[in-house]
Order: sequence, then structure tokens, then C-alpha cells
Amino acid sequence: MPTVADKAPAARERTVIDQAVAKHHGHPGELLGILEAVQSANAHKFLSMDALRYIAEETGIPPARVYSAATFFALFNLDPQGDNVICVCRGTACHTRGSRDLLEKLCLDLGLHEHEVNDSNQADKLALTTPDQKFTVRTVACFGQCALAPVVEVNHRILSHVNERTLQREVNALGQRRK
Amino acid sequence: MPTKTISIRIDGELVTAHEGQSILEAAQATGKQIPTLCYLKGLSAVGACRVCMVELAGTDRLLPSCTTPVQEGMSIKTTSAKLTLYRRMAVEMLLVERNHICSACVSNSHCELQAMAQSLGITHVRYPYNNPRLPVDMTHPRFVLDHNRCILCTRCVRVCAEVEGANVWEVASRGIYSRIVSDLKDDWGKATNCTGCGKCVQACPTGALAEKGFAVHEMVKESEAVTRLAVKRATQENHSQ
Repeated sequence: MPTVADKAPAARERTVIDQAVAKHHGHPGELLGILEAVQSANAHKFLSMDALRYIAEETGIPPARVYSAATFFALFNLDPQGDNVICVCRGTACHTRGSRDLLEKLCLDLGLHEHEVNDSNQADKLALTTPDQKFTVRTVACFGQCALAPVVEVNHRILSHVNERTLQREVNALGQRRK
Repeated sequence: MPTKTISIRIDGELVTAHEGQSILEAAQATGKQIPTLCYLKGLSAVGACRVCMVELAGTDRLLPSCTTPVQEGMSIKTTSAKLTLYRRMAVEMLLVERNHICSACVSNSHCELQAMAQSLGITHVRYPYNNPRLPVDMTHPRFVLDHNRCILCTRCVRVCAEVEGANVWEVASRGIYSRIVSDLKDDWGKATNCTGCGKCVQACPTGALAEKGFAVHEMVKESEAVTRLAVKRATQENHSQ
């Protein structure tokens, strides 16, 4: 299976990293700015191991510290993300309004296995991507929109009072748009 | 350079401390013992283990003595029923988090965690065990990293960064998924900047970082060889006679 982490974009990513390092170098907390810039410039919104290694080399920050920062913050992804990101709120209010069922249904529809992630080393929160790289399902602790529970964020657009049918419709629409 | 001296009370006793000292250092200077796990003299203090907690008069919160600087007029209690309760709880939490099975550990009876549990009178643990399935890194030619025995005190991280200057170790992820990692979660044997100095092994309070060859499992006896040798010698003597 061809992976998106192929070496092909390495040269382009290198220039992105060089620019980010040049911009942030010497500032306190430079690492976070660099990681953020590199991830957002990546087509699949993730930080590859090659990128992390190169960042460590260029900044002189120990690789272990780069890895530590990249795994500590939920913002950073070490795996390629799907074209569409669906984020299900698992906060208390959304939970009581049935967000677990929503999440399970969503995973079922997309053919993802929620339990697979439990053994993974950074399964603090769920982040699953379909094999065709179309959808990524994530969870979040709270959007701060508890009155609208259950809340689901689809490509940074917040949907309120979501039920299984509206979510399914949304996912189908996204799936068709890409075809 | 003379530093400003400060008067504080430790367990009712009036003590002179220096500005910039931590409560722990001030107490140790007067011969008082405060239990510690993540603290190692010479390394920076991080307050990770919560075993060195002390009571400060005028506040309900317990304070970690290793990271709290002394202030004029502080009155500190280093032992009380409440402190024992909290210290015991902290150690019990450490015991349930990973697989601390003393009888099969390289550091059995040379372990600070075990000694701490004994001195706090922990005979059993009241919380359910996590029983995580964690890997053991045997890739380094001389040392072993066993995540099952790690208490995340970060002594290895600090000794490597502050004393050796190699910066091999760091804590990755967060919460119960936290792990000690070398480089980009590479095998320890592949860590390019590891000098193999073994300071992390010496700093480790438990059996998480250990020298190879000391595990119970590795102490294989070859008693057949003795028999074989004795039998051979006996037959040779018979022939010569």
C-alpha cells in the first residue's frame, strides 16, 4: 500500500522546516511554533518522523524533547489525517445526550474500529483515519457548546443537536463531494 | 557569597536556612529526614512523586518540600498522620500504575520504591492494579529499559540532560500513556547521542533501568558442567591407575 509518508515531499517539507526554523529560532518556545507551522503546511496535517528528526537537527533541540512535545499536545498528529476531520465531543453534557452512540455509529459507518486504538501508545484521545484517507474521526473533551449538546465538529464547522441521521447525512454528503 | 539567612520552624524546632534553599534542603541540613523518591541531590527538583509533601502552618494545602523555597517565618511539619496518609496514597498509586513485582525484579531489596513502601508500612494496595502490557527495551548492548518498573520520576531524564549533557531521555505522551523515550521513540540501542555512561541506570530508583546480566532470569547456573568435569576426571584417574 502506498503511504502518504513517502519520501517524495521531503524536499518541499525541508524548505518549510527551514523557513519555520529561521522565523522562530531563538525565541522562547520556538519548538511549538515550528511544529505548528510544519504541520499546517503538510498536505495531510501531520508530522512525519523524518520531519521531526530534521527539526531536531536544524534547531539543535534534542530529538527526545521534540518527540515529547509532539506527543504531549493533542494538536499535533504523528499520523496522516484524512481529508475530512470529524470531531465528536465526549464532554459530560454531550455524553449524557448520547455522544457515545454517535461515535460508535460513526465508526461503524466508516468501518473504523474504536477498540483498536485502546492499546496504542498515545490513545489519550481517539484519532482514527479510514484507509482511503478520506475521513478522520477524533474526540475532544469539550467544545464549550454544552447547551447545543451533542456537538460534532465537521471540518471546523460545529453542528449542534446532532443525531445519528443528521450525522450520517453529513458524512454521506462529504463522501460524495470528494468523488 | 554570603546569602541571606532565614529563620524557619521545622517540627517546632527553630532552624536557620539560606535564601534560595528548598524546604527539603533546609530540613536535611539540620539532620531531618523527609522521604523522597524523585529527588536526587545534585539534580534539579521537579516535585513529580509527591512523597516529600510537608504541612505548612496557615495553609490547608500540602506542599512538595523539594520544590518549595523557604520563606521567613515558615512553620513546617514533616511528619503527621495526614502526611503519612498522603505519602502512602502516592506510593500506592505508583505501585498500581505499572507491574511492580518485587520477587522477579533486578532491583529487589535495592529499590527505593520498595524501601519507601516498607518504611511507610504499605502491606497491601487498596486500589485495583492497572496491569499494563509494556515493552522491555533490550537493544542497548549494556543496559535494559523495563517500562513495567518505571515510576516516571524523570531522574534519568535530568541526569542525562544536566550531568551527562546527552539529552537522550524525555517523557513522551501524557497521563497514563506517559513513557520514557530515547530520541524519537527509537530503540535505546539506536540512540545516536547516548554515550553509554550508565548515569541514568545509577540514578534510577527502581529496576526500570538496569545493567544486563543481573535479572533473576539471566542467572542461569550450569551445574551439569560441574558433573561432566568431575565424571571426566574420575574416568581419567581410573585409566591412569
